[in-house]
Amino acid sequence: MVELLLDPNIRLWVFLPIVIITFLVGIVRHYVSIILSSQKKIELIQVQDSQVMIRARLLRENGKYLPRQSFAMRRHWFNNEETGYFKVQKRAATSQNPMTDPGMMTDMLKGNVTNVLPMIVIGGWINWMFSGFLTTKVPFPLTLRFKPMLQRGVELTHLDASWVSSASWYFLNVFGLRTIYALVLGENNAADQSKIMQEQMSGAAMAMPPDPKAAFKAEWEALEITEHKWALANVEADLLTTEK
Amino acid sequence: MASSLNKIIVIVGFISLFHSAFSAAQHRSYLRITSQEFTTLPLDIVIQAVVSLFAVMWGVLNVAGNLREIPAAAELNTIRWETQRNLPSFYMFNHRGRALAYDYVPSSSKAELENLE
Amino acid sequence: MSVTKGKDNKPEPIAYSEAALRNNAVVVEYCRTSMAALSGSTAGVLGLTGLYGFAFYVFAVVSLWVMFMLKTGPNWHKYYISRQSLLTNGFFGALFTYVLFWTFIYGMVHVY
Repeated sequence: MVELLLDPNIRLWVFLPIVIITFLVGIVRHYVSIILSSQKKIELIQVQDSQVMIRARLLRENGKYLPRQSFAMRRHWFNNEETGYFKVQKRAATSQNPMTDPGMMTDMLKGNVTNVLPMIVIGGWINWMFSGFLTTKVPFPLTLRFKPMLQRGVELTHLDASWVSSASWYFLNVFGLRTIYALVLGENNAADQSKIMQEQMSGAAMAMPPDPKAAFKAEWEALEITEHKWALANVEADLLTTEK
Repeated sequence: MASSLNKIIVIVGFISLFHSAFSAAQHRSYLRITSQEFTTLPLDIVIQAVVSLFAVMWGVLNVAGNLREIPAAAELNTIRWETQRNLPSFYMFNHRGRALAYDYVPSSSKAELENLE
Repeated sequence: MSVTKGKDNKPEPIAYSEAALRNNAVVVEYCRTSMAALSGSTAGVLGLTGLYGFAFYVFAVVSLWVMFMLKTGPNWHKYYISRQSLLTNGFFGALFTYVLFWTFIYGMVHVY
């Protein structure tokens, strides 16, 4: 195969601009998605529910370190037939359907707008602006099956498969620069440290039971059958035998 | 001090890598003008490129941040006794201390108290 | 996954700090991506083609691993769960970045 010689102007005005445009569009898209993203609002009552669930679970698991009376007191607060928390609180069984929730819909729309739309628009523009150039050559031999992938827009049957056309070079950049975004923008999920911290603080509370009524009932049952077995009954004797 | 040294290493290495790339491009165009066949790059460009690669890698390794010790005990050892009793699970925010707030309005009736939840 | 692997090797379970593990993974990932991009650029500058380029990638991965070992010194087990997973994790993910940069700089320097 005869070595092709490309005009150096292609390097300056096609090859390099595609890389720069792809990179900068990725950066802009990142910041636009930050602007558009809305803070997830959580209901106060849901946080309350999940915290109550956590407390009940803790009591169930670690109640053996409490004296019997203290344990019974706490269980009474949860489980008493007339005044217990699980009995008194009435929660409507809510069903979350993402299609009916308008906030969910706008979130999905925003995700599409920031991800798919620029890809189509910029890709179409690059196709129109820089169409029909051979830009570069991959430095390793490829089989003929890669030809339609790497030489989109340049249909030459006798061209070696390792040449890359401009449109394909754009797509290679789109997929290959993702890790570089993670490098440049910190983590690619646009989250700074404070957000992660916040997530950790309220992480347990965020995991809300989807149906508080059923969850309350299950927790009530579990707490009801919990048998209090005081773990520290003969702690003095244990202490004296281990510590010589 | 050490981190700024590492940053300088990274920057200098980048410039050197870029310079070697530029030299290689110049060499290629020189060969093409004089219509010689390309065999290998001159040795000085190769050495410059590889050395600057290692310099930048080492610099990035130090700039990237410190590794933390992964055994959980290593973190517990750093807890001082003043902070040992700081247990987030036992935080309580709904207590009578709110009566000290300047804009606190005492609720009038017991029914209202029960509605507070 | 690497946690369980580390636990299987040891006779007794060791508690690892989740936050420190994540922090270390982020640092390693950062270095690995930088390494892939930089070594790809260098391979492009040197004009490596074909298998030589991939051999250079393997060489870069191993030298990054050696650098990690040099940085932590003899008590590496304080920072990583296993040395092998540090070497092999993300090998192919970074390969794509490497190939992109290799192609890019090779095109810039040697094709025109």
